[in-house]
Amino acid sequence: MIAPLLDVRGLTVRFGGVVALDGLELDVRPREILGLIGPNGSGKTTCFNVITGLLRPDAGRVIFAGDDITGSTPQEIYRRGIARTFQRSRLYLELSVFDNVALGNGKRLDAGFLTTLLRRRRLARQFAATLAETRALLDVFAPALIDRLWEPVARLPMIDRRRIEICRALVGRPRLLLLDEPSAGMTEEEMRELMDDLLVVRERYGNLAIVLIEHEMGVIERVTDRCVVLNYGRKIAEGDYRSVARDPEVRSAYLGTDA
Amino acid sequence: MVDAALLAQHAVNALMLGIMYALVAVGFTLFFGVLDVIKFSHGDVLTVGAFTGLTVWLALVAVDLATPWLAVALLVLVPALATALLGALIGRFVVLPLKGAPPLNVLLATLMCGTILREAIRLFYPGGANPKPFPALLPTTAYQLGNLNLRLDSVLLFLTGVAIVVALHLVINRTRLGLAIRAVAQDAEIARVMGIDHVRTVLITFAIGSALAAVAGIMHGLYYNEINFSMGLLLGVIGFSSAVVGGLGNVYGAILGGFLFAFLQTLGAMAMPFASAYRDVFAFAVVIAIMAVRPTGLIAERGVERA
Amino acid sequence: MMDATVRTGRPPRLPVLAHGIAATVLVGLYVTLFLEAESQSAVLGLLAVGAAAAVVAARSGVGTRVIEVLEHHPVAMGLLAAVLVLMETWLFAERHFVLLMITTYLLYVTVGLGLTIQFGYAGTLNFAGASFYGVGSYTAAVLTAVPGFPPLLAIPAGGLVAAVCGSLLVAPVLRTRGHYAAVVSIAFALLFKTFLEVNEVLGGPQGLLVGSLSVAGYDFAAPLRPWPGTEWSFYVHHVLAALLLALFAYAVARRIEHSWLGLAMDAVRMDEIAAACFGVGIERTKVVAFVWGNMLIGMAGALYATMVGFIAPNNFTFADSLIFLSILLLGGLGSRPGLLVAAAVVVFLPEKLQLIQEYRFLLFSALVLVMLMFRPEGLVPRPPRGYPGGGGGP
Repeated sequence: MIAPLLDVRGLTVRFGGVVALDGLELDVRPREILGLIGPNGSGKTTCFNVITGLLRPDAGRVIFAGDDITGSTPQEIYRRGIARTFQRSRLYLELSVFDNVALGNGKRLDAGFLTTLLRRRRLARQFAATLAETRALLDVFAPALIDRLWEPVARLPMIDRRRIEICRALVGRPRLLLLDEPSAGMTEEEMRELMDDLLVVRERYGNLAIVLIEHEMGVIERVTDRCVVLNYGRKIAEGDYRSVARDPEVRSAYLGTDA
Repeated sequence: MVDAALLAQHAVNALMLGIMYALVAVGFTLFFGVLDVIKFSHGDVLTVGAFTGLTVWLALVAVDLATPWLAVALLVLVPALATALLGALIGRFVVLPLKGAPPLNVLLATLMCGTILREAIRLFYPGGANPKPFPALLPTTAYQLGNLNLRLDSVLLFLTGVAIVVALHLVINRTRLGLAIRAVAQDAEIARVMGIDHVRTVLITFAIGSALAAVAGIMHGLYYNEINFSMGLLLGVIGFSSAVVGGLGNVYGAILGGFLFAFLQTLGAMAMPFASAYRDVFAFAVVIAIMAVRPTGLIAERGVERA
Repeated sequence: MMDATVRTGRPPRLPVLAHGIAATVLVGLYVTLFLEAESQSAVLGLLAVGAAAAVVAARSGVGTRVIEVLEHHPVAMGLLAAVLVLMETWLFAERHFVLLMITTYLLYVTVGLGLTIQFGYAGTLNFAGASFYGVGSYTAAVLTAVPGFPPLLAIPAGGLVAAVCGSLLVAPVLRTRGHYAAVVSIAFALLFKTFLEVNEVLGGPQGLLVGSLSVAGYDFAAPLRPWPGTEWSFYVHHVLAALLLALFAYAVARRIEHSWLGLAMDAVRMDEIAAACFGVGIERTKVVAFVWGNMLIGMAGALYATMVGFIAPNNFTFADSLIFLSILLLGGLGSRPGLLVAAAVVVFLPEKLQLIQEYRFLLFSALVLVMLMFRPEGLVPRPPRGYPGGGGGP
């Protein structure tokens, strides 16, 4: 058994009287693609928010690469190598494609005040490097955008925004990528393309693990190595897609709320 | 040893200030409740109310109808209606059109509205640049309770304020209108689905809040016997701080915040009687301190962002 | 890769500089005529011409070219701007009032740049701009009264004290959402003025005298005699000092914007949650912006005080703070080119058009309100960010 990259133990989050996560146990192994599925409101996004430090859990631990990161700030967690996308796109619509992607590279960029004012050459070098990486990523995910690098994101269609958001998460070379419903607003074909692109990048980066929240079961079936099913903040099933799809509890959870 | 009579006098003063602050704060909190906006013209709407009251009084004097009770009734009613209309107009033509804009733009736009009102009074009201005397219309009979000197006008003003707060409570909790306001505040989308006219509810809320400000302005005038064009700026900032202290969106919190603020301010005046000139300085210092210590309000502000 | 189609280099230098020079000459001509204009009808006529020219420039794309030059060739354009100001100073060297206006313009530009860093970039609304300007002024008043204190040091000292005041004041509320910081700054603005009025050490409502600047015994408050028989206004010194300060402020603001720090500020302004998830320190970024903004504002205030020689609480009212903010909102939030235009409108217009002088607060608030409602991006919308080495930009 390989040590997990991410180990979530007994995670509990309450909003007032509502229990969003109830003793959740979850592990992500290096280089695997894990599908996180479950009906609406089952705690998937809350789980991402705790892992990335946006929410403090009421109980439980999050261990990443052997270190306890429970209660760390989002900034620290990003620097350790966890990056994410958001269910509702959180791109900076007024900023350019490049600005948006470059933001994801923050851990390798110097935003110190003295550097900003006095060491312009250093900034120019970092700019050139970030530009090259941005282009390389766009070359995989959205080659057409290389020509539109300086345009505000607001002018681009939703599908391009999704791709840019993924580039922003990837440019900092994370070890764990959390994707929150990337397929929203995409056709199945576009989603398939996106997942193929992700696999390309995973090969290139060597050790990238991905957790994918997704409602399109076709996508889950095709790309994930393993699935975890949540309901009412608890894990109700785990295993490869075929086995969890057959699980009676999973079926009743979906039928009971969604169907 | 602090003189007991002086202490009581301070307490009365704090209650008076408290009810005025509370009335202003309730407006801020109502606006935030229904629309999640800070309407910063609120304080200057108050000034407009006070000056409307003064104008009514001067008109009554001019036509020789200035009997105190009629004057008091008109002095409250006319400004309240005028500011209700003004508040609804600002809501309709400034705040609602900016619905999709960044929240700070709404704050700025309404602040500019307030500046326009303030400057218009300064420039166009006769002698508006100087403080104006406000008539003392209420009987000033003093009662001696032990060694406390209680004036009837203070008592009347305070009771009026309390009555208005109670009335507001009843409107919000016992009427269809109140139900609509609460529904919109809870969730505008669901309220719409329930068939509640969103724009109408918002505008009525703005009207009510603004009328309360006019009442506070008139009370301020009757209590201190003086009004000026920038009074609303000061009361607006204090009222807003009170609303924040009580948790924006929470009506009872705002009332509590108003009284808390008044007591802190009075406490400051008592602790430093040698520095009475610093009264306002102390008030604003309290605003800043409160913001620094309790930025989310005594009763947690709703709608705190979750990713 | 498709390097040829991606613009990362500067536009070619010569035709671009030609645009810059042409724009400078035209602006210089216009400003000269405007400052010379005496009759109200002449001023109104020039305003109409200016407005028409602005519309033509915007429609024809000339405006975009000028902004491109401004963004891509800061040193050349800075020199041209300096030459422009020096030319005007020389033309009006004997007229106190015109030089005072030019200095005021440059000081307002400096203040506007400070506020741009705070609000335009990092999104922290500061309603106490005039108060921090006042902090700088009063610092200068106090320091120039100290025997043996080198007067020139009063300028950076004014900035420093304003920066410290600002960080003490606002640091605690920066954690929270924008409107709390806004209210704290309003409270400070009102507190500051009331404090000055009741406080006797700092002169009360009557105000304080301020010593003049001097360098090695050369007094800035004495008239300038460039050659025998000619006497220039002492304001010439202050135009020069304010010009240096404005250029410094512009360089600081530009370098901040064109950097990762500027990107972080934009990110914090627009979405703190996304910014935090990509490692941006929210509080640190806001504090840096607030402190440096106030530094510039305080330095401008100190220079102002030594120029006018006398300051009183009434110079630093809440209404003045609103005027400073109006400049930003009129020009376009975060837009340095817009700031240069809007500051000119706000400073020169009321001085030349007596009919609006009294109503300027009313007028500018109304103008800003209209702008917020119908053109929130301002007169000259902020150009896209450029990067050191010539990437990006308009």
